[in-house]
Amino acid sequence: MIILFVALPLIVAGVLPLIGKVSRRVLPDLLANAALLFLVVYAVAVGRPLIANGPALQKLTWLGETVNLRLALDGFSLFMLLVISVVGLGVSLFSIDYMEHYGAKANYYALLLIMIAGMNGLVLATDLFHIYLFLEVAAVASYSLVAFGLGHDELEAAFKYLMLSVVASASILFSIAVIFGMTGSLSLPDVARALRDLDAGAVVGISAALFIMGFGLKAALIPFHAWLPDAHPSAPAPISAVLSGLLIKVSGVYAMTRIFLNVFGLTPALSTVLMYLGTVSLVGAAFLALGQKDVKRMLAYSSISQVGYIVLGIGLGTPLGIAGGLFHLFNHALAKGLLFLTSGSIQQSTGTRNLDEMGGLAKRMPFTAATNLVGALSIAGVPPLNGFWSKLLIIMALIQAGHPVFALVAVLTSVLTLWYYLLIQRKAFFGKLNEKWAAVKEAPFWMTASTVFLALLCVAVGILFSLTIRTWIQPAAGVLADGVQAVIRSWGL
Amino acid sequence: MIVQTALLIGLVLFSVLAIFLKDLLRAAISLAVASLFLGIVFFRMNAPYAGVFEISVVAGLITVLFILTIALTNTAEEVRESPLANIVFPLFFVVFIVIDALVMKGLLQKIPTVASGPEAGTFGEVLWKGRTLDLLGQIAVILAGVFSVLALFRKRDKHD
Repeated sequence: MIILFVALPLIVAGVLPLIGKVSRRVLPDLLANAALLFLVVYAVAVGRPLIANGPALQKLTWLGETVNLRLALDGFSLFMLLVISVVGLGVSLFSIDYMEHYGAKANYYALLLIMIAGMNGLVLATDLFHIYLFLEVAAVASYSLVAFGLGHDELEAAFKYLMLSVVASASILFSIAVIFGMTGSLSLPDVARALRDLDAGAVVGISAALFIMGFGLKAALIPFHAWLPDAHPSAPAPISAVLSGLLIKVSGVYAMTRIFLNVFGLTPALSTVLMYLGTVSLVGAAFLALGQKDVKRMLAYSSISQVGYIVLGIGLGTPLGIAGGLFHLFNHALAKGLLFLTSGSIQQSTGTRNLDEMGGLAKRMPFTAATNLVGALSIAGVPPLNGFWSKLLIIMALIQAGHPVFALVAVLTSVLTLWYYLLIQRKAFFGKLNEKWAAVKEAPFWMTASTVFLALLCVAVGILFSLTIRTWIQPAAGVLADGVQAVIRSWGL
Repeated sequence: MIVQTALLIGLVLFSVLAIFLKDLLRAAISLAVASLFLGIVFFRMNAPYAGVFEISVVAGLITVLFILTIALTNTAEEVRESPLANIVFPLFFVVFIVIDALVMKGLLQKIPTVASGPEAGTFGEVLWKGRTLDLLGQIAVILAGVFSVLALFRKRDKHD
């Protein structure tokens, strides 16, 4: 029952506001977390056996007749489902305590679950229009979640995000229309087959350019990044974690990768464009991050930079590069989710996000300081944490493919990344305790529990990296490395 | 062809007007006229269902909702149109049409046309059997919209 990944969060989201009338806190907390925990267990326990003999296809009957509810689960989509549900669970655990003072908790969980359902639907979609539709489901929920605090900055950031996101959606939709006009079909295997037989390089180029602009905006690659440094810091901390950890990867990187590698087929030109876009993002955003005073803004710029690594790895197109890119996607989702959550803990305890006002908080918030350190070192790529291995894979793949300059840039930017993460750690947690924070206490139980959960995962994935790569990354990278054949051959619907 | 071109020019004209006009009522009506043009284009291109929905929902229902909202919230102040609109709008419009005429003609010839297949069944069959997942997605979008409104307008109620 692959449809459960979409239907369950939607159904729970539908009933939550009603339940919220009866029980304001306990039941919504319980129900939302139970749903996400179920999705994690379901992805791990049921998903893997399901695709053991190739991709699983969902076909449903309704009153004795087959209806067109086609979803496909392969190694790549299962991997994304795992990422979404694990980070989603961490975030919803954190929300139990963090969202107390915002009010309307049932509504908040409902929107969060709709966003998760949208992302899951996008990952399982087998049709270009479904990809667009579920992209919008996740996006509509995310606009209001960015504005959830209702302050001036939040509303302004949400509006900016909405406007740029609409431009992205419009160019994606336009490109889908062009492809439909060319091939007469929307389903991915049919489009892949038709494009292979058609000789229409110029028009395919135009629709690829439109997709790069649309998905580039969604993934916030430089030069399409303007909305992200406003939108991500303004949202409540758990939502920042979902946006940076998941949404930009699912609606930007996943959709782009699926279409370019499995439907269009990665041409040398496309590969070059993706690699340059990735490199510009990873270097540019790292320099922009250095100058930030606001801790969440710094993390937001860091997200752009790390997405650059992912796109660089996947854009390279070799099996090792793709595996490295996907592994980095997983690691960044865990670590950046964790870092946004710890920044939320700091903000709730001290009331500020300004790094210059903090100092010595490690003495008052030992768990937050320790988990933040794990996340920071992981993203910066310090061994033996998970981020080190994925960056190593990407750099090895670049050297292997004969791109030593790209590899050098990636290594140097990694040093820059370590620099600004140590800056956060030193300014916020180390040094003398600022007098103002003498009375600050450690974050409440569930907030600490969820950051510890994600930090332990970062450490565990780092130590067990070969197991993780074998069980989750290899099957996903295999699907992408197979290129167009993966969809045409095994998705024969 | 001439009718088609005229309809498309009208569509662009009124769409741009809807953005440039500062008076909300006029902007809403421009939008309705634009979607009326689009509906007619749909009819002429043998897509009657799309035409019916475009005209009844976008030109009809949504305009009524817009006008109702404007009527309920407007403070009856005279809105001054920006002088910029008088210059920028015609300029934009001319540039758009010129670029469109230059680019699209070359582009359209490059797109291999697909032979339009036989009708794939009635409207109901296509909607319920062919595009079932779209319906699920639309339910999700509507839910997201409703919950967004509930969430974003939660504090204002108390203050009022």
